[in-house]
Amino acid sequence: MNNTGLSIHINDGLRTLAHIDNFSFTMNKITFLFGESGIGKSMISKAVYGLLDPNELQIKINDKDYQNYLDLPVTRQIKQNGFFVFQEPSSHLNTLLKIEDQLNEGAIDQHLDEKTILQTLWDTTDDDTIKKIIGIYPRPYRPSGGEKQRILLAMAFKKINLMLQPSGSSSFSLFVFDEPTGSLDNHFRNLFLQLLFDKFSRKQFTSLFITHDYSIISRIMNHHQNMIDAIDFKELARSDSGKVTLNFFSPEQYLSWLKRIQKIPGRTDGIESPKSEVLRIHKHFRIYNREYSIYSDAGCNHSTDLIIHRGEMVYLKAGSGVGKTTMAKILMGLQPAEQVEFEIAGIKISEQSGPGVWKKSIWGKKMGMVFQHADEALNLETTVKESLDGLKNKKLRGEFLKSKLEELFEDKIDDEFLSKKVKYLSGGQKQRLNLVRTLALDVDLIILDEPLNGLDFISIQKTLDWLQEKQRAGKAFLIISHNEEIFENLIDSNRTYFLNFQ
Amino acid sequence: MNNLFKKIERRSASIYSQKDKFWLIVWFGILSLTLIWNILFLNKPALDLVIEGFLNTLYISALVVILSFILGWIIGLFVARFETSRFQILYFVLTFILNIIRSIPQIIGILLGYMGITYLITANILHNHWLIMTTMALIISLFIFNEVIDLIRERVNHFRKLDFYNAMKVCGISENRIINFDILWKNSRIHILNKLIAIFGSAIFLQCTIDFIISVGLSTQVSSVSLPTTLGSLLAKIDSKQDILAIGNTLMNPSYFSHIFFEHLQGVTVAFLIVFTLLAVYKISNGFAERNRL
Amino acid sequence: MTFKKKILEHLLSAFLITSLLGTLLYFTIEKKNIEKIQSNEKIESYLGLSFIDFENPFDRALLLDVLNAYEPDQTSEHETLIRTIEQYRKSSLIAGMEEAYRKEPLSSKKWQQLSLMYAKFILIYMFVMLLTYYGVQTFGILRFVRRQQNQKSHLLCFLQQLFSAPKFSRIKDYLKYYLQAILHLIKAVIIASSYFVLFAPAYVIAYSLKTQLNTDTIFFMITLAVISNGLLITYTNKFYTFLVAESRKGYVQTAIVKNLNTSYKQTDKSGISYASVFSFRKHFPMHVFQHIFLNARYQYLQTIKEQASFLISGLIIIEMALNIQGHFSYELLKQLLYKNYDIVIVIILGIFYMVKLTEIFTDWLTHKKSLKYENIEPVCAK
Repeated sequence: MNNTGLSIHINDGLRTLAHIDNFSFTMNKITFLFGESGIGKSMISKAVYGLLDPNELQIKINDKDYQNYLDLPVTRQIKQNGFFVFQEPSSHLNTLLKIEDQLNEGAIDQHLDEKTILQTLWDTTDDDTIKKIIGIYPRPYRPSGGEKQRILLAMAFKKINLMLQPSGSSSFSLFVFDEPTGSLDNHFRNLFLQLLFDKFSRKQFTSLFITHDYSIISRIMNHHQNMIDAIDFKELARSDSGKVTLNFFSPEQYLSWLKRIQKIPGRTDGIESPKSEVLRIHKHFRIYNREYSIYSDAGCNHSTDLIIHRGEMVYLKAGSGVGKTTMAKILMGLQPAEQVEFEIAGIKISEQSGPGVWKKSIWGKKMGMVFQHADEALNLETTVKESLDGLKNKKLRGEFLKSKLEELFEDKIDDEFLSKKVKYLSGGQKQRLNLVRTLALDVDLIILDEPLNGLDFISIQKTLDWLQEKQRAGKAFLIISHNEEIFENLIDSNRTYFLNFQ
Repeated sequence: MNNLFKKIERRSASIYSQKDKFWLIVWFGILSLTLIWNILFLNKPALDLVIEGFLNTLYISALVVILSFILGWIIGLFVARFETSRFQILYFVLTFILNIIRSIPQIIGILLGYMGITYLITANILHNHWLIMTTMALIISLFIFNEVIDLIRERVNHFRKLDFYNAMKVCGISENRIINFDILWKNSRIHILNKLIAIFGSAIFLQCTIDFIISVGLSTQVSSVSLPTTLGSLLAKIDSKQDILAIGNTLMNPSYFSHIFFEHLQGVTVAFLIVFTLLAVYKISNGFAERNRL
Repeated sequence: MTFKKKILEHLLSAFLITSLLGTLLYFTIEKKNIEKIQSNEKIESYLGLSFIDFENPFDRALLLDVLNAYEPDQTSEHETLIRTIEQYRKSSLIAGMEEAYRKEPLSSKKWQQLSLMYAKFILIYMFVMLLTYYGVQTFGILRFVRRQQNQKSHLLCFLQQLFSAPKFSRIKDYLKYYLQAILHLIKAVIIASSYFVLFAPAYVIAYSLKTQLNTDTIFFMITLAVISNGLLITYTNKFYTFLVAESRKGYVQTAIVKNLNTSYKQTDKSGISYASVFSFRKHFPMHVFQHIFLNARYQYLQTIKEQASFLISGLIIIEMALNIQGHFSYELLKQLLYKNYDIVIVIILGIFYMVKLTEIFTDWLTHKKSLKYENIEPVCAK
């Protein structure tokens, strides 16, 4: 598997879902796999693990039917000894079984040091905290996304512990982690990495680590130097033939780019005047019976109003699950708050304001928002052109529309592209379309919720350049992102706010 | 020649794997065979009656589908809009009325509606053959269209929960466009079409049943009123009933089996047309859902 | 909508319908009485005259003369009156005979009769509901297991065997081979026939069996209600689609990577045994299917309201179409025919209450379950 590489072709009967000729990873190493979303990282990994259904998809591995691959002893070993942590933790836990029961079934029904694993992942020594979480049925918001993610990771670690036991199997095992840190903030992500590397140090195993989080590179380079020899960084990229290729990714490339990023100084007019102010949020507000405050410092000691002027990019930071997206939705009038006060380009809004205010004066006129998951935010069944029809910006037609798209897409936009269905775009293209749709509006302020989601390294660079260009032209941005490393380099620390609740 | 066979084989395999198309062909095929058989062995007046009954049944059922779709879409839109608007009282009233209709067993509602039709006919308000059938379809669709509304509400609510809906709203895209174009047309038309196929089956079943009940149970009162001939009313005719009894006879007397296809053709054909059409519609609907992964 | 709101809505609609039909019932009874009084009022005074024999044409002529003598300016009205009296006597004679058979007051005896019929109707309904609840899940699972085993249809197997027969050296092998093919054909015929039965409206089956079986028994009614009118097949299919949809969900993949059993062979020790499929309390320990089953059953629970409504319609069809005396829905049809609208209203109200009670019960059941899964019910953490 490590030398020859696998040729994998997956088709759903209508079109090719993934096609790669050289998929390989090194035995007894951890391979970090990058690449834009939708390129087929998960699908290919599932095919290798033996999880796809040959009755539902047409799959060929090394030009042979998938069933042949499934019958190979090595595939059976992978399934027997390995584990696969899926992305989207919410849908990968059974909502009708208590978490503790799900943590103790099948091959992981033994003790396997579960308590220590959970305490490490939760950074606690308190048993009750853990018991409260695992004693319940998983619901959409309870436990939180990050907690569910850690439950799935705990299952994987239990399986790793099974392998580490003296009686554990010595045959081949593969552990796949598909976006395991997507819902974790940096603190918990680092704890997970630490635990993974600790286990690996005890006994080497093969692992595939699929991620979009390039800041993991800095973390490894700065804190896990001893692991560098056991790690490969690879990236999936689309070739001109439509196939996907696997290339080595140079960590230095990312690190040097990070150093090169230049911040744009605050306001374009240079004068702090109420006229240039596009958003002011009062420092205290209340949601779900929780008192929230906005702070100017990471220690959350100095509460302050959040103010954004024209031509500014402001970064809002908070731990995972604190409520950044909820706050953005309140600003956009999509969710009610018990007590809140803010002003958008001269329009005063409070918890008393009716939904008509947003519809009449704000949506598409004063403020816009880019939602984090392009797959959800866009209508996948429409064409690219249809997805932009119906916008408030009536100029968005013909050549003007093409030129707007060309600002962010690398190729020349033609009619064929405009009539392409959104669902057939790559993950990166969808995210860029998601950004263009909102940025094409003639609004003063745009909220960007995880704007780099699903983008590969090249697209990240291009998108950030584009955002800075818009910022220079006078647009204001409120950024919400887990990608702290990149945005800390892009935005002045005095333009960073912190959100927390009591 | 060999190539031709292979081509046919490939094509057949492809159609067989698309169960909805396969069953549509089977339905038409078997109906044609039944027609040929009846032309050969059924007397002319009876044959004319069977054909008229079958076509009337199809006409009424197709009309039920169209009316349910129109009613369901329009009222469904109102429900969806009122649900999130400040006119909560309108939402409550509308859903309350819809729930009351839902609580009346379809068969009773339609039966009472048919009583109304017989009254209109005897009062000479309703006399046109086509108008009577259209009214019959309207009555049936009044007790079925809730299914379309449920589907529309389910689809709209599903997308409202996703960022999809909000992301468009904050771009200033009108709610009408989001619901009608983006949700219902672009993302739900397959679901709606599948629901309409199922409604077609329900309409045939309900219509045949009501016509049968009315013709059997209310015969003295209603036979004086000329309701259009349908498969249900044909089945209730005394000669058809005798024919169906013959099917049971073959259980005890298997040698009688061949007789039912010659001597009892009217009743057996009518019963077969009802049951086989229901089966075929079910299979088409299932195949359609499977092919489109609904 | 919250559970309380749902219950409130149910009660409100029950109240509204009760008031509406109650008012209608009151006016129907009143109208009946008024009609009786009005029709008699005008001519009752003349009919009561003991010295006139209305059978006798001479007496009738005499009455006309006397009336004309008293009111000479109203001769035409008097002629009409005499004609009306004649008509009234004639129609009342026929109606009297018919009414003795048809017209029934909503007396306490009738209430008693209706209550007994209602109780029988509910009993049959509950029995059928339980049987279909079991049948839907059992047949749904069997179909799903067949799908997971990749079993081809028997007709396809028969055709394949027929057209791709290998060459055998012994006749015995040929016989064995074709016997197997015929077996597939027989199975295909049985399945096709059962499909016809499952889709047939109840009256088609009932009428075809009328000479062979006693179709008036409760046992026959229950059997018919379960298998006919498409009830069992529709909801089996619904349950099956829930199973298929659930089997594609993420949590099933997590269960697979935890090495839970994935074999669907009945003969495998770790597979799905017939005993567990046919059991009343279905349980599939250590198998991925347990996850799928739990979720499909939870979804199915939410369709029971709809299934109950379907079943009630089915029962009404059976009772009406079979013309079985002494059954609730047949009574409805009969009273509709005899224009005893007061009794019709009472029966409709009875059926409406039953639907409402089922709706309340299923809402309560799903609410109870959702409380558990929403972690609102007290949970004892280990």
